[in-house]
Amino acid sequence: MGEKADVWQGTLALMVLKTLEAMGPLHGYGIARRIEQTSGDLLSVNYGTLYPALLKLEQEGYVASEWGFSDNNRKAKFYQLTRAGKKQLDRETRDWRQTQEILAKFLGAREQTS
Amino acid sequence: MRHLRAWLIRLAGTFRKERLDAELSAELESHLQMHIEDNLRAGMTPDEARRGALMKLGGVEQAKESYRERGRLPSLESVRQDLHYTARTLAMRPGFAIAAVLTLAVGIGATTAVFSVVDRVLFRSLPYPEDERLVSFGVKAPFEGIEFMLAPEYAVLRGRQNPFESMTTLTPGGSDCDITEQNPVRLNCAVVESTFLSTFGIRTIRGRDFLTGDDRPGAPPVAVISYGLWRSRFGGDPKVVGRELSVNGKPLEVIGVLPAGFEMPNLAKVDMLLPQVLDEAALDRSNPRVLLRAFARLKPGVTIEQATAQLQPWFQDSLRFVPPQFRAEVSLRVRSLRDRQTADSRVGAWVLLGAVVTVFLLACVNVMNLLLARAAGRRRELAVRAALGASRARLVRQALTESLVLAILGGVAGWAFAYALLKVFLAIAPDGIARLEQASLDLRVLLFCLGVSLLAAVLFGSTPALNEPAAEWLAGRASSTTARGWFRQGLVAVQIAFSLMLLAGAGMLLRSLWKLQNVPIGLETQHVVTAQVSLAQHRYTDNARQLAFFEDLETRLARIPGGGVLALSDTLPPSGGMQATFFASIEVPGRPRSAQGTGGMVGWRMVTPSYFDALRIPIVHGRGFAEADRAPTEQPVVLSEALAARLFPGQDPCGRMMRFTAFDRQGPWRTVVGVAGNVKNNGLSAEGDPEFYIPWKNDAETYVGRGFAIFRTSLSETSIVSWTRSQIAEIDPLVPVEFATMNTRVEKLAARPRFNAVLLGTFAAMAVVLAALGVYGVVSFYVSQRTREIGVRMALGATSTGISRMVLLSMLRWTIVGTMVGLAGAWFGAELMESLLFGIRPHDPMFPLVALGILVAVALLAAWIPAYRASRVDPMVVLRYE
Repeated sequence: MGEKADVWQGTLALMVLKTLEAMGPLHGYGIARRIEQTSGDLLSVNYGTLYPALLKLEQEGYVASEWGFSDNNRKAKFYQLTRAGKKQLDRETRDWRQTQEILAKFLGAREQTS
Repeated sequence: MRHLRAWLIRLAGTFRKERLDAELSAELESHLQMHIEDNLRAGMTPDEARRGALMKLGGVEQAKESYRERGRLPSLESVRQDLHYTARTLAMRPGFAIAAVLTLAVGIGATTAVFSVVDRVLFRSLPYPEDERLVSFGVKAPFEGIEFMLAPEYAVLRGRQNPFESMTTLTPGGSDCDITEQNPVRLNCAVVESTFLSTFGIRTIRGRDFLTGDDRPGAPPVAVISYGLWRSRFGGDPKVVGRELSVNGKPLEVIGVLPAGFEMPNLAKVDMLLPQVLDEAALDRSNPRVLLRAFARLKPGVTIEQATAQLQPWFQDSLRFVPPQFRAEVSLRVRSLRDRQTADSRVGAWVLLGAVVTVFLLACVNVMNLLLARAAGRRRELAVRAALGASRARLVRQALTESLVLAILGGVAGWAFAYALLKVFLAIAPDGIARLEQASLDLRVLLFCLGVSLLAAVLFGSTPALNEPAAEWLAGRASSTTARGWFRQGLVAVQIAFSLMLLAGAGMLLRSLWKLQNVPIGLETQHVVTAQVSLAQHRYTDNARQLAFFEDLETRLARIPGGGVLALSDTLPPSGGMQATFFASIEVPGRPRSAQGTGGMVGWRMVTPSYFDALRIPIVHGRGFAEADRAPTEQPVVLSEALAARLFPGQDPCGRMMRFTAFDRQGPWRTVVGVAGNVKNNGLSAEGDPEFYIPWKNDAETYVGRGFAIFRTSLSETSIVSWTRSQIAEIDPLVPVEFATMNTRVEKLAARPRFNAVLLGTFAAMAVVLAALGVYGVVSFYVSQRTREIGVRMALGATSTGISRMVLLSMLRWTIVGTMVGLAGAWFGAELMESLLFGIRPHDPMFPLVALGILVAVALLAAWIPAYRASRVDPMVVLRYE
């Protein structure tokens, strides 16, 4: 686990929201696996940290949860993006892109000067 | 918005944590199962599959912990923990908790109860709008305690420029009046000028106020009734205005109803206000005879001093009508309404408040000492908690929680105690402490009590909490505590100082009370029952009827079953209220009339011959009255010793002549037939006035509206009361009679000093107990801190006496400092109390010295117990424990 970068806490919420947007209703385990796969296994989720983050999102009203059954007929809690969550996702994605652009320009400028 | 929503959900989560926990467990369980299944599908062995899943999850407990933190409000959680922990530690040492809560309850309870009482006297505003502008004003003269106004002079002032926005008068004493229609009742009526309600800013809740014309002679009679009368007699009938009511046999019209909380400015009871009609005769300036009480509302911004100055020209002008030799003794007085109402309760109220605040501070100091001692004993525990990661703020919060819990418990217990105490106050309180009967533990007092509890919590909670736990405490060794020891011993010195002041003050009041109750009043009160009879003027309209009543009364009552002595008199000692005249108005042949001043007042009474016998007042010279003296032609007089000495110094007064002015008429020449012993006639503490007696005659000249029947009998009070009642009822069943034994009449006069002395005595006792507890606490702490040192000393050969002495000496220093401060305080405090004292000098050194003795003895006793314990320390045990 050590060689993989820990998930940057702030972005975890964004990844969860993005995952739910892409996959529809999904349980905690599914979300964790999905994040791991999409990041190409470069990013390893410490699965335990996912649950407090999910709880926080739920308290803020960005996701809603419901008990249901998985593909293997196992009882699991399913999370779903709410309308407020969708808006929040758009907003955060925008912010994130902006940050990235600024960062890219900054790094690019440094390379040119050196 | 989002944050608020999340916070509310977390708040809710705090109270249903079991459900949250269960839900999370289920969720994690399903997570693990799914992961394990995936791992198995990937070809792992069941063991590997499980291990991998668990590792990936990263520690179930940690996940749960952070989930919990997010699910609830951790700060609230820790408050719950603090409370829980507090409850546990307090229950672990119930002795400490009980001592602290009781001490606080006493302090808070006494403070609240006394505040409830003095609040009424000292602080609360009067029930009139802008009450600070209301004043009582008039002329102050030696024969009348309260300032008054002569009707014609008042009329003059009304026409002149004056500093008042409006002014008004009322007739002192009000008037008895009876509703004389079906269900007759006797009412308290106040007779007031038409400007009365408007000056005080009171509006009627129904109907109208008096108009200017209502108090003119010949105006149709009207009345404003009290809220109480409106409810009780008219059932709150909204159409009561305009109703006709028969009062004293004459019809009058109800024009208005007073609001519920209405209060007369002289605090008299009132059921009905009647307009004060002043006719030509009352306003005759050459012969002023109507006395009024005047009140006014100052113009905005005018001070009492300015008003007094502005009234001076009018006052100087009106002085022209005062006989020149009296002028020096007459002055103008303007004072606030509050001063007039509470003048004589103020000093007592301040002394009580001061005493109780002192007791409260002592209680706080004690609890603080208790907490300090406990904190020192728990330093090891604090150090352990700090080492395990408790933050400083967390420790402080824990300590504050403990103090708050104690303060709140103390506040609640104190509230109950205050309730009981106030009941006791009201039960033993004398009449005439202004507004005392209205005192109740109301909302304001409740807030005060709560504020005081919280203040106490901060006061004694902060100090222990500010102790920073040091690492060395972990060792559990007693390190040097000198600085804190100084602080605590200083607190004890303060306690001793204050207790000494209270004790000295209480001693002075108790001694005053004792002297007062043993003051010779000049008569024997045992076996004397008195009955006061007052005749309603509208039923006994002329002297003849009245005469007939009293003749009948005397004949009937003289036949006391079982024998005894009956006497009649118009007034009774030792309270005041008798008829009086100026000494200067008494004429003696051959003695020049005094040209200077009034010479003070001389009282006189009308008595039947057996009066001296009934009250056992000794006739020291000559004789008392005989039946023959009641004949119309006889004019005898009996002087008191004091008066005889002033009128006929060094001579035999018997057979000499004197005359005086009474009822506005020059009386006949009277022959002195005897001299009676002096009797207190102006209350117990005042120097009595000289007085003389004239016989109660059954003639039509003197109109007596009320009188006392005095029985000296061996019959029980109840049987004489019921017999007298039936006898009087046979003459006239509607005459009200009030009974009292002479003992209770005298007791009543000492009620106020007794009230003050009992209260201050109680507080002083509380203070001494608190101080003793304080000393005990500090010395015990000192001993427990030095157990090791004492053990070493003893091992090196110190004797147990030496150890006791060492411990006692450590305390003695502070006791001495405390008593020195206390003695100085008592010296200055005594001056403030001077007006409450009787028969002792305020600077009598005896009281502080006795208090000093008591306190030193108590302090030594309190210190001796732990000192003795110290001397029994077994060096082997102590050193091994090390």
